[in-house]
Amino acid sequence: MLNSGAQIDCPQSPVKGRLFTAYITGSAWLSAGFAAIIFATLAVQSAPGIISAGGTFMSTSWLPSQGQYGMLPMIFGSVIVMMIAMVVALPVGVLAAIAISQIRSPKLRRAVKALLEALAGIPSIVYGLIGVSFLSVFVADIFDLQTGRVILTAGLLLSVMILPTILTLTEDAISDVPKAITQNAAALGLYRYEVFKDAVLPVAGPHIAGAALLALGRALGETMAVMLVIGSLDRLPDPIYNVLSSGQTITSKLGREVGESAFGSVHFSALIFASLILVTITLSLTIASQIIFSRRAKSSVGMRHV
Amino acid sequence: MKTTAFCLLSALTLVGCSKPDTLSVSGSSTVLPVVSKAAEVYSAQSGKAVIVNAGGSGAGFSQLAQGLTDIGMMSRDITAAERAQYPDVNIKAVAIGRDAVIPVVSSEIFDAGVTHLSLAQIAGIYRGDIQNWQELGGPDTDILVIDKEASRGTRHIFMQAVMGVKEPEAKGADLVLGSNNEEQTALTQSDSAIGMLSIAWLNDDIKGVTLSMDGPPIAPTLENVKAGRYPIARDLNIVVRDDISPATQAFVDFLRSPEGQEQVEAAGYIQVTK
Repeated sequence: MLNSGAQIDCPQSPVKGRLFTAYITGSAWLSAGFAAIIFATLAVQSAPGIISAGGTFMSTSWLPSQGQYGMLPMIFGSVIVMMIAMVVALPVGVLAAIAISQIRSPKLRRAVKALLEALAGIPSIVYGLIGVSFLSVFVADIFDLQTGRVILTAGLLLSVMILPTILTLTEDAISDVPKAITQNAAALGLYRYEVFKDAVLPVAGPHIAGAALLALGRALGETMAVMLVIGSLDRLPDPIYNVLSSGQTITSKLGREVGESAFGSVHFSALIFASLILVTITLSLTIASQIIFSRRAKSSVGMRHV
Repeated sequence: MKTTAFCLLSALTLVGCSKPDTLSVSGSSTVLPVVSKAAEVYSAQSGKAVIVNAGGSGAGFSQLAQGLTDIGMMSRDITAAERAQYPDVNIKAVAIGRDAVIPVVSSEIFDAGVTHLSLAQIAGIYRGDIQNWQELGGPDTDILVIDKEASRGTRHIFMQAVMGVKEPEAKGADLVLGSNNEEQTALTQSDSAIGMLSIAWLNDDIKGVTLSMDGPPIAPTLENVKAGRYPIARDLNIVVRDDISPATQAFVDFLRSPEGQEQVEAAGYIQVTK
């Protein structure tokens, strides 16, 4: 894995160069090591919880005082909130990125992009406060709810938070498509939308998907803002698709309870197991998409050279 | 030159971290207003910095037990389970004030006539048996039942009095929130909510209901709490380890001194040393 990418055959480097190479390789292994250590720690720490209360994990009732640690509501909450956020943010983000990439003046394009990127710099607690004081009130008014601290509010708030990620990376992907490709396509007499659809998208596609994946990771991992607006109720919605009821995500649960649970207790261990589930979801999504895109990239490269 | 700068920088950082006269206090958001007011006065007098953080009673205890803070704040007693988790550390609680937990409703509900509730009625609401204010003489609106995180001191005291258990399951709950602040905001935003708040946190938008008892009803007033008539009352504690440092002890003594107790009253609670 570490040896993939552009490889050039060079003559044997002097000591300085070899040190540099070792430093680079070392850094790469270190980063990979961190990921492995985190994963291993989570696995080890969740063992006591699995042993003494594992049977209750796949239920819906979370009552630490009675030894019940049902995680279904928060797993469901994490997934549904992430889906709402993606459904709202992905089309908006990608379409906005296309629009921005088609602005002909580079100056204006950079200005618009910088403005949108500023959204990404706002700390999540600020989004959370806006969510509690305005968004949740709007949602409650619009749907005539008793409280706006519901799953939908969390999803909508998250969609705004992940929008800059999708937008910036998608715009980068489109702008990075080599001029030769677009100019050749245009020279063949294609309309502008055809150039985009048939020449730009096939090249930029995997990168756009990468952008979506990064955004998805952020949506799953966001804690503070979600915690403030979701209602923190450990219950599956009734009926299950009712996003106008309060819920819980894995992160909001961790945010509220990790500080209260004693290190080494079953309660603590169960919370660690919940975070292990979260990491596993993110990781498997990443791996799955890597596989899909490496396949597609290979086949599309073949196509282009025909 | 570079090395000197580096040494200076690291020296500064180290001093910043382990400055011996900086005290850290964390835990219950109910006790927090008292301690932070007292800390201001104390810092001005002694020149020692006191850093006060919220987090809840449970967090206050576990952080103290883990040595992450000098003083923990708890609005309830230490549970046997908590003690059992840290058998090696000896922790004692010191009362610095008294407080009452008041069942509160949105002002709209209060003004519509729900001014009195019995403990059994409140239990019915939290159990999910009573779901509409009409059943309690109020308007035809669903009740928004606001619960608190299971380890919160306020909830322990409230549930002990209302349901007879410290950590019951509340099937009727619609929202689960954390600090008094968060609870207060949600109650203010709603026009049909019931919740539990410490007496110092009531305001114009949030009304405390009078408890209807077998005898005369008991209003949620400071006088009733002082006289010991109000049934949902508790000590506000700070907790310390037995290997307490002199600097920490000095602040604990200050909290119990007449000057510290003034801050208890200024925060809306009741003095404990009188």
